[in-house]
Amino acid sequence: MSGAPGGIDQNDLMAAIDGRLGPERAAVLESYLAAHPEEGERLRQYGEIQHQLRHALAGPNDEPIPRRLQLARLLAEKRRRRYRQFGAAAAAVIFLVLGAGGGWMARNSGIGAPRADQTAQATTEREITADALAAHRVFSVEVRHPVEVAAAQETHLVQWLSKRLGRSLVVPDLTSAGFQLMGGRLLPSEGGPAAQFMYQEGNNRLTFYERSGNTGDTTFRYSEQNGVGEFYWSDQDFGYALAAKINRQQLLKIAEMVYQQLSGEGAKPPPPASPLPGKPS
Amino acid sequence: MAVEAASIEPHIPGLRRFARTLVRGDRDRADDLVQDSLERALSGWHLRRAEGNLRGWLYTILYRRFLSEQHRQKRHGVHGTLTDASEAELPQVTGGQDAALEHRDLLRAFSTLPEEQRSVLLLVGVEDLSYEQAARVLGVPIGTVMSRLSRGRERLRSFMNRDLEAPENAPRGAQ
Repeated sequence: MSGAPGGIDQNDLMAAIDGRLGPERAAVLESYLAAHPEEGERLRQYGEIQHQLRHALAGPNDEPIPRRLQLARLLAEKRRRRYRQFGAAAAAVIFLVLGAGGGWMARNSGIGAPRADQTAQATTEREITADALAAHRVFSVEVRHPVEVAAAQETHLVQWLSKRLGRSLVVPDLTSAGFQLMGGRLLPSEGGPAAQFMYQEGNNRLTFYERSGNTGDTTFRYSEQNGVGEFYWSDQDFGYALAAKINRQQLLKIAEMVYQQLSGEGAKPPPPASPLPGKPS
Repeated sequence: MAVEAASIEPHIPGLRRFARTLVRGDRDRADDLVQDSLERALSGWHLRRAEGNLRGWLYTILYRRFLSEQHRQKRHGVHGTLTDASEAELPQVTGGQDAALEHRDLLRAFSTLPEEQRSVLLLVGVEDLSYEQAARVLGVPIGTVMSRLSRGRERLRSFMNRDLEAPENAPRGAQ
């Protein structure tokens, strides 16, 4: 680095441009510049160039993100790949176990004591399933205010809840199972904000509950209380619970439908966000 | 949808800027680089803590992808991308049309700088990374970051000054 009289060197000039010069050095620089006006001019030019460059390179801040760079799509693809590797055989086993009753997958394999994180995961899972069921009981019988934001404002609903839960939520479309979206609400929980979406078919109401919480990736688990069935599963640090007073087979079908839509398979493709054609990856 | 998506998303515009700077404005190639980096970030999400702050980690991934691509191209005898930029692609280095027009000369001068200087000027000057963060992303000591920054700015300065004095279409600053 070129040393300069007065103990000011090129590094100081750079730091001055970038606003990273400490107060002591700034004072030294000031008296140096007073004695060397030509250096002041150089500094001014650096500053001007820096300013212009910032504008010139400001680039794609306002541009929509092209489809091929959308994380939802990249994630769905990644999951699809993983699912394919996992194979249809493994999927068949999962559903066999489910069908055989209980659906209690061998998480604690029975060998040795469960690890601490497994215990914590089990606690989180109990909290989520209990909260989801409690919320279902309270709000599914509500006549006047079943939801906080109605389905008519679905876009707002999704943006609002996504913001509160800190990830982009997808509202499952259950019309093919006969259930229409009524709306949703924000709920408090031990693990932070939770979202509940409510659906209706005739007089029957179904709720879909989700919040963050590491319970380990699990397959569907079924439980039933006073006629209300509930499927729980977890994926990527999020827990999901689906509850309704319908029989287990029907509920399982809907749970699979929801799971698929969240994984991006069979989900509505996101609208093209950019006129730039995405390259096939 | 996942936590990682929500955390990474805000950094995508910055990653695209960095990529465009590295490949000198070839937008498709830049987005290829970003896509590749995002895929890596998602599959290596569990590794991120070891690297400290998320933004720096993402930029580091992208820079390493860029370097290995350069390396591959060199090995396969694809020449030119590192040092030659065709005159046609210079004005659209990055930014919108207006920015490109308004800052045409500066962008042109910028694109004649070696990659090391362009990277530092972008990371520090536009993305506001600290000198330490920029050094970590580029895998060089802080002193190197400082000298590249200083050389890059000095070169732009003398280029712009020469531009003021020289008539239009005079030979422009070479490497």
